[in-house]
Amino acid sequence: MRALYVFAALLGAFMLATAASGARTATPGVTPTEIVIGGTVPMTGVASGFKTVGLGASYYFKYVNGHGGVNHRKIHYIIKDDQYDPAQTSDKTRELVEQDHVFAIFNSLGTEHNLATRPYLNALGVPQLFVGSGGTTFGKDHKQWPWTIGYQPNYRAEGTIYGRYVAKTTPKARVGVLYQNDDYGKDLLAGFTKGLGKKAKLVVSKQGYNVDDPDVQSQVARLKSAKVKTLMVFATPKFAIQSYRFAFQLKWRPKVFVNVVSSASNILKLAEIASSKKQVEGSVSIVFLKDPTDPRWAKDRGIKLYRAIMKRYKDKGINANDVYNVYGMSVAHTFVEALKKAGKNPTRASIMKAATHLTLRNDPFLLPGVVVRTTPSDRFPLDQARLERWHKSRWISFGGLFRVR
Amino acid sequence: MRRALGIGLWVAAVAAGLAVYVFLPRLMSDFHSRDLAHAGVLFIAIVGLNMLTGYTGQISLGHGALMAIGGYTTAALVVHEHWRDVWTIPLAGIAGGVVGLLIGIPALRLSGLYLALATFAFAVAMPSLLRKFSGLTGGTQGLRFLESAPFQVTGLKGTVTVFGHSMTQNHFLYYLTWGIGIVGFAVAWLIVRGGFGRAFRALRDSEVAAVSAGVAPAANKTLAFALSGVYAGVAGSLLAIQTEIVNPLSFTVVLSVLIVVGAVVGGLGSLPGLVLGALFVEYLPTLAGHFSTRAGVPDFVYGAAIILVVILLPGGAGGLLRRAARPLTSWLYTRP
Repeated sequence: MRALYVFAALLGAFMLATAASGARTATPGVTPTEIVIGGTVPMTGVASGFKTVGLGASYYFKYVNGHGGVNHRKIHYIIKDDQYDPAQTSDKTRELVEQDHVFAIFNSLGTEHNLATRPYLNALGVPQLFVGSGGTTFGKDHKQWPWTIGYQPNYRAEGTIYGRYVAKTTPKARVGVLYQNDDYGKDLLAGFTKGLGKKAKLVVSKQGYNVDDPDVQSQVARLKSAKVKTLMVFATPKFAIQSYRFAFQLKWRPKVFVNVVSSASNILKLAEIASSKKQVEGSVSIVFLKDPTDPRWAKDRGIKLYRAIMKRYKDKGINANDVYNVYGMSVAHTFVEALKKAGKNPTRASIMKAATHLTLRNDPFLLPGVVVRTTPSDRFPLDQARLERWHKSRWISFGGLFRVR
Repeated sequence: MRRALGIGLWVAAVAAGLAVYVFLPRLMSDFHSRDLAHAGVLFIAIVGLNMLTGYTGQISLGHGALMAIGGYTTAALVVHEHWRDVWTIPLAGIAGGVVGLLIGIPALRLSGLYLALATFAFAVAMPSLLRKFSGLTGGTQGLRFLESAPFQVTGLKGTVTVFGHSMTQNHFLYYLTWGIGIVGFAVAWLIVRGGFGRAFRALRDSEVAAVSAGVAPAANKTLAFALSGVYAGVAGSLLAIQTEIVNPLSFTVVLSVLIVVGAVVGGLGSLPGLVLGALFVEYLPTLAGHFSTRAGVPDFVYGAAIILVVILLPGGAGGLLRRAARPLTSWLYTRP
């Protein structure tokens, strides 16, 4: 009996608390002292390795707030955990818009996940800023979705680069592809096939896996039995690490191309632990961020700033060498710069305008020379990268900076 | 005199319930009606499960999978056939009922824990089945209403007009879900207090006695499964309409377990407590998150709360209501 009363009282209090927070202003999420933005990131579940994409951004905002904010407004960034489940993304995004009254959705992670919320956000005119996915559609289809803009180099272009590279350097290789069976993996695969051009028949085996599969053991075994010599890994971190491990267990050592989503040095070091240093040696990927573990950047202004911010603001248990933190800071930096350009009293329209008129040469977290550039019809903010090869447990970039288009 | 008073009290209770239904959304933020609508989905599924487990004693741990049948029926009709979302609800109910009936037939040979395990297997297998027929179900990606058929989604722009009365989409979903929930509840009440209900309970309490009294066990048990399937199908359909996306992750084993928890907390074999069962399942995770958001703590609080409720309220909320009302009911129904 008493338990029920306590429960009912708690329920009542909870409802009152949420009802009271429903006050609105002219532009949602903007008050004289604060800008409220929010996004979904998998803080738990299969893709929780990406949580630092959100946390890194939150540390950068804390740093900016500590230095007076933007136009005297502090940035309040709400991260909701969607467990990498698009249905939850949908729900949590509505909560952010309708209950927390955010100014904009920022840095929500995942291709499927942003696809699930894009029609809703565009119908309401809520900016969907700097989507945490390289899905080509987020940059390309701006006529249909004017409130959406991407961030990282798009997957199709990334796949094309690997395709061209393989066709040029190893025109006789037997190529296999391990890909995540969704919009993300298929985007990379389509780009790869395009890049191979006439050499598309080099691909002897394509193995898809589902994101809620427990592992990719059987896919790796099938790739091995197809006598694959060059393996494309278009997979998220957990599955990328598994692909190294299972290949190692099968005593099979193909030349691996690992897509940028899983090529952070902290992920490859885990892959080395799960297999062997020899197994991972020689892997190829692309890079556009500064890697905090790379001795080249030890004295770099950007990485020094990164280290200082991490030291001051990072949560307990977060690895300061996790490259996704750098990604988070870079995307947060871009948001802050866009906000500065959006006027003294930013509106949803003005932040969208600012986000689509960017030329940022000073992002301290990106490789030297990489420029964040957008126009209303060019919504791929990052479109430059370098190739890199894993050698003696770290990435060495090779070749010059090229455009990823 | 007392009889008239009893009827008057009944009418007053029903009127109060309806008043809460109509006016509740005005007391809280707009978004909150969406949470309540989600609780309504659980309520409908719990009412259906209670008819099966509470009244005929057949345990099902597979109701999440039956909800998947309803949800995917709705999603397929909206995305592939461009039906308006709300018009698919009856068909989703029928689909759930048919599948419920099909499960009910082999279930006749199983009872107790064995039936629980078989239905549990059904729930575990469902996500893989959904991925297998990817042409129809969209595979792992599932079906996204907003992308494939945005104009079939009621209230895409935020408002819905029903009979000339304009309301927000969240309010619409609340009224729709709980409206169906109340009708479903009334129907369930009529069924369990009539001849079917007596047959169901007789089978639950002693099958041998029931058979010797002329109750057909096979017909009644499969009927209960089919009815329960209709409720689950409708609930799944409403869930799909609310989230505007279905994928295999929307209907996991956890959902099946939540429905059972809701039915136990609400009180097996009684109806009025089920509203509390649904609210318990809906809000407890959020409340548990208020203690601490550290990994594992909300789950721990959630589990502890369920154990506490089961120990303190063995009859569930329904049993508690009955005990609380006993002085009144015994006074009302005794001749002076």
